[in-house]
Amino acid sequence: MAEAIQKKLKLEVEKYTQMQKDVSKSVSARQKLETQLAENNIVKEELDLLDAKNTVYKLIGPVLVKQDLDEAKATVTKRLEYINGEIQRYETLLKDLEKKSDQHRELLSGLQQEFQKAQGMAVGKV
Amino acid sequence: MAEKGKMSNEHLGGVARFREEQEKVVKDCESRIQHWKNLSGDYEALNDRLKTLPDQLSYDITVPFGPLAFMPGKLVHTNEVTALLGDNWFAKCSTKQAQKIVDHRMKYVKSEMDDLSKTMKNFEARVGLTKDLENISSGKGDYIDIREDSRIIEAAVTKGRKRIAHKPNSKPKLDAILDLKEEEEEEEEIKVEGGDTERRISTITEEELWARLDELEKLEQQQDDQDRLSDNGDMNGEESSSSEEEKEADAAPPVNGQSVKPSWTPAPHSKKPPCKDSIAEEDDEEEEGHDLPTILFSHTMEPKKVRINTGKNTMLKFSERKEQHSKKKKKNGLNNGHHELHKITTPVDIYRLFVDVKNGEPIPRKSILKSRSRENSVCSDTSESSAADFDERRMIGRSFSHEDTTHSDTSDGLTEEDSPTAVPLHPASRFEAFSGTVVEKDPMPTAVPHLTLAPPALPTIMERKQEEVASEVAPPQEAPKRVSKFKAARLQQK
Repeated sequence: MAEAIQKKLKLEVEKYTQMQKDVSKSVSARQKLETQLAENNIVKEELDLLDAKNTVYKLIGPVLVKQDLDEAKATVTKRLEYINGEIQRYETLLKDLEKKSDQHRELLSGLQQEFQKAQGMAVGKV
Repeated sequence: MAEKGKMSNEHLGGVARFREEQEKVVKDCESRIQHWKNLSGDYEALNDRLKTLPDQLSYDITVPFGPLAFMPGKLVHTNEVTALLGDNWFAKCSTKQAQKIVDHRMKYVKSEMDDLSKTMKNFEARVGLTKDLENISSGKGDYIDIREDSRIIEAAVTKGRKRIAHKPNSKPKLDAILDLKEEEEEEEEIKVEGGDTERRISTITEEELWARLDELEKLEQQQDDQDRLSDNGDMNGEESSSSEEEKEADAAPPVNGQSVKPSWTPAPHSKKPPCKDSIAEEDDEEEEGHDLPTILFSHTMEPKKVRINTGKNTMLKFSERKEQHSKKKKKNGLNNGHHELHKITTPVDIYRLFVDVKNGEPIPRKSILKSRSRENSVCSDTSESSAADFDERRMIGRSFSHEDTTHSDTSDGLTEEDSPTAVPLHPASRFEAFSGTVVEKDPMPTAVPHLTLAPPALPTIMERKQEEVASEVAPPQEAPKRVSKFKAARLQQK
């Protein structure tokens, strides 16, 4: 009886750790997105400051590709919006994951208690 | 203190860790600030470079060719700079425009640095606080954590169920009485069914107790009047003995007889004995009361086996012994007549005085508090829940009684035993109630071990002692004559 509970407990613990990993992953992704967001904001500002005369290049791999200023601006704006959207998505995902992990945590604690009880009983019996 | 020590240890650990975490944050902030500082330095250099770059049309430079080779070359188009805007976006611009970009970046870096420095300051302050906290909890440093155990105070004030009898004769009685009162109703039914036959004091409901209290009050007053006229010390013994029993029964009400507030306070305590004795006295006591109206309280350190109302038999034994002693005493006392009665300087004398003359023999009046056959008397805190308290009290009482014996002034050895009966009722009050003087109770220190009271409890007990002493003063006020006589007796004794 105690062993069965122990196995259960292990399974649950693994699940929980997995969940925690997911949570941390999404958290880090969100952080990345945030930095990108800041950067793109700066880029947008800089682009606004530039005149049309300056050529704008975009680095694609090892190549610097010329871009129009307006195009660049538009691209950057789009990128900004995309990043915002991503952040939102990740936020919701994070919330869900956290909720799940909390539930799982409670489950785990309950199982642990049972396990301890069973162990105690077993010890007592023995 | 042990608990406090434990707490402080845990607290210390937690606080230490907290402090460490905070310090970590501070360090992190410092590193970041350093990073930003580096960046700003770089930007400064860049700015300078951009400024100076367009000074010349071209520069002779040594161009690095790969990681190991250099080539002499020229730097042309000095005003054209391709600046990284961020996120893999570049823009060709003049140096001046580049400078503008650099300025923007510098602004950003500065703002970041400012934020970080603010955070760092905050956390530094927090670290300082936690350090102080650490010092406080560890007890070192200049800070002293003043803690008062509220539980004890509550006990002192309310004299609640928990018997925290710091003093041998103080709280236990009160608690007993209080518990008695509290549990009376609860346990009445239980007790009544349980120990009716055995108990002399049958299940006394609160109302009954109140009624009895009133009766006894009247009786007492009558007795007092008589006593004043006749004996001064007669009543004391009776009252004390009866009061003990009564006290158990009339936890709170007893005081009513006296002007003392019925609430559970040390003051009524001392008064309780008189009023209880008079009011709560049982039939025997009432009868006796007439004979021995005066209650002289002699506050002596008698062996207070303060265990009046313990539903345990142990108390009964004590009381029985006391009664026997009191019986003997009464015999002797009666023989001596009022002279000895007058001389009530110790609770023992009271027992002596309070004898029920039955069949021509003075039978020591059994205080209602002490039920001979009382297993679960209502009068006493015989509730199972209070059993523990009773045991405590009993122990305390015994311990006190032992202590008291050493201190008791009674010349009679019996008195010592008798006194316990009186004492149990109001261990603390007895001691003080019976004497107009504050008797320092050494038992208290000894009692403390029995009581799981924290040291702070001691002061409270002392307070209570004093309160009880004060309360004792009150009862004397009720019977001024008695007091005077009592005092006289005491003086004589001294």
